[in-house]
This record gives sequence, C-alpha cells and structure tokens, in this order.
Amino acid sequence: MIGLWAAKNLRRHPLRTGLALAGIAVASALLLDMVMLSGGMERSFERLLLSRGFQIRLSPKGTLPFDSEATIGDVSALVASLRVDPRVAEAGAVLATTIYARRADSLMTLIAYGIDPRGQAFYRLQSGNDLAPDDTLGLLLGAPAATRARLRIGDTVMVLGRLDPQAIRPVGERKLVVRGMVQWLYDSPGEASVGALLPVVQALVGQRRGDRASAVVVRARQDSSVDRIAADVRRLNPRLEVNSVATLVTQFRTRLTYFRQLSLILGTISLVVTVLLVSTILTITVHERVAEIATLRAIGVSRFSVVRQILVEGAALTIGGTIAGLGLGLITARYLDGILRSFPGLPAAISFFVADTRSLSVAGGILLVAGALAGCFPAWRAASGPIAETLRMEAT
Amino acid sequence: MSVGVARIMAGLLFTNAPAHGQVQQVAVEPRLAQALGLHLGDTIHLGSAPDSLRFTAVVAALFTPKSDPATLMRRDFQIRLHLPALATLLGQPDRVDRFGVVVRPGANPDSVATALNRTAYGFRAFTSREVAGGSSQTFRVVSRFHRAIAIISIVASAVFLLCIMLLKVEERRIDAAVMRFIGVRRRTIFGALLLEACLVALIGSGLGVGLAYGAGALTNFYYQRLFHTSLIFSLITPDIVLESVVLALTLGLVAGALAALRLVRTPPLTLWGRG
Repeated sequence: MIGLWAAKNLRRHPLRTGLALAGIAVASALLLDMVMLSGGMERSFERLLLSRGFQIRLSPKGTLPFDSEATIGDVSALVASLRVDPRVAEAGAVLATTIYARRADSLMTLIAYGIDPRGQAFYRLQSGNDLAPDDTLGLLLGAPAATRARLRIGDTVMVLGRLDPQAIRPVGERKLVVRGMVQWLYDSPGEASVGALLPVVQALVGQRRGDRASAVVVRARQDSSVDRIAADVRRLNPRLEVNSVATLVTQFRTRLTYFRQLSLILGTISLVVTVLLVSTILTITVHERVAEIATLRAIGVSRFSVVRQILVEGAALTIGGTIAGLGLGLITARYLDGILRSFPGLPAAISFFVADTRSLSVAGGILLVAGALAGCFPAWRAASGPIAETLRMEAT
Repeated sequence: MSVGVARIMAGLLFTNAPAHGQVQQVAVEPRLAQALGLHLGDTIHLGSAPDSLRFTAVVAALFTPKSDPATLMRRDFQIRLHLPALATLLGQPDRVDRFGVVVRPGANPDSVATALNRTAYGFRAFTSREVAGGSSQTFRVVSRFHRAIAIISIVASAVFLLCIMLLKVEERRIDAAVMRFIGVRRRTIFGALLLEACLVALIGSGLGVGLAYGAGALTNFYYQRLFHTSLIFSLITPDIVLESVVLALTLGLVAGALAALRLVRTPPLTLWGRG
C-alpha cells in the first residue's frame, strides 16, 4: 500500500522524477567507478602476481623486482638453497635486460628474460614447446616480438648482447632457435620480449661471471607458510629485499596513492550530490503536499505511516537511480580503464577498474543508506507539521 | 655512525673532480641525509649492488634535486658523484648512460639525429622534442583521465542543476499565475525567471571558485608535504576559472530557461491549481 502510494506520487511529476533519477544515476555511476578504482588496481595486481602461484619475490636490497638495473649475485647458489627447503615447492631466477636481434643489416631492440623453466613466474606458453632446462639454443617469443621480427616457431635468429660503441662489437652473440610462443605476463602492450635460459642471457650481456639475476621467485607448498619462509630468507640474506605478495601490493598501493585519494574525493562528491538531490526532491514534494499530509493525519493516519511513505519514496528514487547508475558505471569504467591502461610501461594484465560483486554491492549499499538518510529530514518535517493550523490555512 | 642501505639514482657532477689519490666526494640530497643520518664530512660506502659496497666517499655537499613529477611516486634517493668516480663505482670506465649534443645554429636537430642513427652502434640519438614527448606520455594519460572525469562531473552537475532549477521555478507557480492574472506578459515572467536563474548560477559559480581555491590550496599543502617537493599539484589559472564560470553560467541559464519556458507555457488556472 505504502509502496503504491509512493509510486503514484512519483508518477505525478514525471519530469521531476525523471531528472532526479538521471541525476542519481550519473552520481551513482561515478561512485561505482570510484569504488572500483579504489580497490581494483590492488586486486588486479595481486591476481597478476599470483597468476603462476609464486608467493615470494627476492630482489636487491632497497628495490622492487625489475625496478632498477641492480642485480643479485650468485643466484644459482641462492636458488639451490631455496629448493632444499622442504616448505618450498619451487624457486627460480630471472634476469631482465636488453638484447638485439639481427635482421639483415639492421638490429632490433628486444627485452630479454633469462629464465629457469623449472621455476618461472613470468610467462604462459601459448604454442610450440617450452624450453627444456638444458636447452641452451632455444628461444621463446612474445607475440609483439614475433610480429616485429617476422619470426615463427622453428626459425633461427642471431641475437646480440650489450653493444660496445667503442669496440663496435657486441659483448656476446649467439644463434638461437624459436621453440615456442608465450605470453609475457608483466609486459606492457606491444613490448617486444623474448626469453632464453638464464645462463644464455647472462653470457649475452656479460653477467655470467657474477652469476647475476634481477629477481628470484619462490613458490611455497602452503600459503600459510609464506610469511615464515619470507622471514627466514630475510634473516639468512640480509642484503636481499624479500617481498611476499601482500607486501608488494602494499608498495604498489603506496605508489598509486593519488588514484586512491582521487577515488575517495570523487566518491564523496557523488554521494553528496545524491543526498542533496534526494533530499531536495523530497523536501519540495513534502512542501507541496502539506495539506494532503495534514488531512491524512487528521483522519487518523499515524505519523509513522507518513514517515514511512516519504522514506519509501526516497528509497524508490535511490533504487531506480542506482540500478540505472550501476549499468552506466560499468560502461564508463570500461572507458576510463582504457585510458589508464595506456600508461607507459604498465603490464597489459593490470586493470584499474575491476568489476566484481564486492564493488557493486559496496556502491549500491552506500547509495541506499545515503538515500534513506536523505529522506529522514523531509520525512520528519512531514510528520511533525501542525495539523489544525495547516488545514485552516489551506481552507482560507 | 649509523648504517643503512638506500637505493640511489645516481646523478653526475662534471666539474671539480678530485685529483688522483684524493678521497672521492659526493653530494647527497637532504632527504637521503636524513634517512641515513648523514652529515657533511661523514664517510659512506657505495656500490652498484648491496653486496658490493666497496667504494668509499665523503659527503661534501647537500643539494636539493630538481623536482620531477615523473619520478615523484618512486621517491628515489639521489646522490651526485664526479663522472670518473661513478664509472669506477659501476666498474664501467668511460661509459655513460647518455650525453647531450648541441647542434650548430641553423642545423636541423632531426637531420642530425637521423644521420647519427644511420651509423649508430650501441646507442640511439633522440631530439629533445622526442625525449620530451616520451617522458610526458604519463602526464598525457593522466590528463586524458582527468578530462574524462570532468565530462562525467559536468553531466552530473548539468542534470543536478536542471533538476534544482525546475524545482525552484515550480515553487514560483502561484507567483507566476498571479502575474499572469494581472496582465504581466509571458516574456516578462520568462525574463524575470531567467534573471533569477542567472543570479543563482553566478552566486553558485562564485562559491564554486572559492571552494576550488580552498581545495587546491589544501591539495598542494598535503601533497607537497607528503612527497617533500615544491611541485604544484593543483593549479587554478584565470583561464580555468573563466572556463568554469562560463560553463556554469551557460548550464544555469539553459536549465533556468527550460524550466521557465515550461512554466510560462502552462495556463494560469493550472498554475493556480484550479485547471
């Protein structure tokens, strides 16, 4: 009954109701986008880090993996010591550097990953074969590198390590055969990357002597033992930065403080707009209907019923606007995500706006509470007006 | 003496290199000095990796690095060494990351870069414009994002404004009906309502500009302290103020006009509630 009464009243002013719904829809779309932005990056980053199941990353002290050109020495010994730990399922080292591929008389710049196929967290095989642990002639290609170098599985390519401009010769040079096509998980769109065994890449860029790598990844047998393994590795290797996925996400969050704060500010503004809109509409509605409300009160309708009716009207506006807004929000989020994902150097797998049930329910819940609160003042005004005086004024 | 490990981004000083055999001197930024508890005259150990801190130097100066928005979020520490000292530290004598070339007056930088790249081996030449274009890519993305958010905000404000104007004008139904009964022309009523909308939009714009300046000052205060920088995060220029006020006035006028038009087209008896 109350619901019908509220619906009838909203239908009485179609333009006003339509505009209010449109306003709430845009505000709730913005709120949803901001809720998605505030936590989406972290969830997306966490998902990326855990995509191959490795929970711990080791890098040179004071750095994050691949954040600088600093490297870790004697990685073979380090990886071997990690592998003997019964709590560790797998460990592997990776060296990221720049190499060149010779094509006719020109050189093409490539990102090279020196990997250990037994413990790698950096690629997913798409076609062909993975590298065998002793395949010193094999090469893995990402799609952009294959396209740019016009290479296919089975092709042979001459790769060169660091170039010395004074000696006009490369530090290392080797002929490799393309074994498989892979997706490099941490590459930005269009990045031309290749992979070969760690010793091969080390030799190409002159890092073989120190047995150096950029990072080491560790997969624990049980998630519950990750913190303990990280603490032990940290204690035994004080010159290494040992990060679990949780600490990396925290570091990531610190670097992207700007987006979190922006989402908080814009989310708050959209909530204020919603509250103002709903409360203004309801206040005006109540003002227009003082006589009607006074008559209802005079014939015995309780204050509680009047309050409930106004609140239901506010809730109906908020729910209608929110439903439309959530759809609109998903569309705008996709557009905004497309803009932010074009950040240079950002892994293609990272999303800023991640739509999930949690984001939708948080945004919807906040709006419903805000809409209900916005209706409180007009409802209180409607219920507390003087009955006799209002009726007398209306009669005269 | 305090001990700490900090990752540094090395800069270079090309002048006043110490003579052979003298202690190497470095300049550190105050933030790093504070983090490691360093003072002028302290001896520090440097290296290209945490497990090879074999290079010993004395802190000879403190310097304030130029604020760079591109590296702001990384919050790297900076230290400056003489070029030969840094080359020795890295174990790469006579090697540099990059160097600048000034072309003769009249020479085309693009042609020079192309000529250098034709014979380049182990390096690549870029013009200043290319370097600037590449390093400003991040800011272009942020700028596009801000523009998109601004469009959504404008749409939300426009709907909000239209709604408020409609309600405000509807509140004047009785006044409009009375004016129509006593012979006031529709055009006059429309003009009066439009003027009122304009006034509301103008006052709202003024308040908005004040709010923006306040929020901007607060933003700069907060982020400048957070990142220890003199960079300006929120900059409100006269152009932005003018653009915003014009937009707000236009939106207010359009919303007011639509609402007023609807009111003056309604018969006076309907406005009076007897239609």
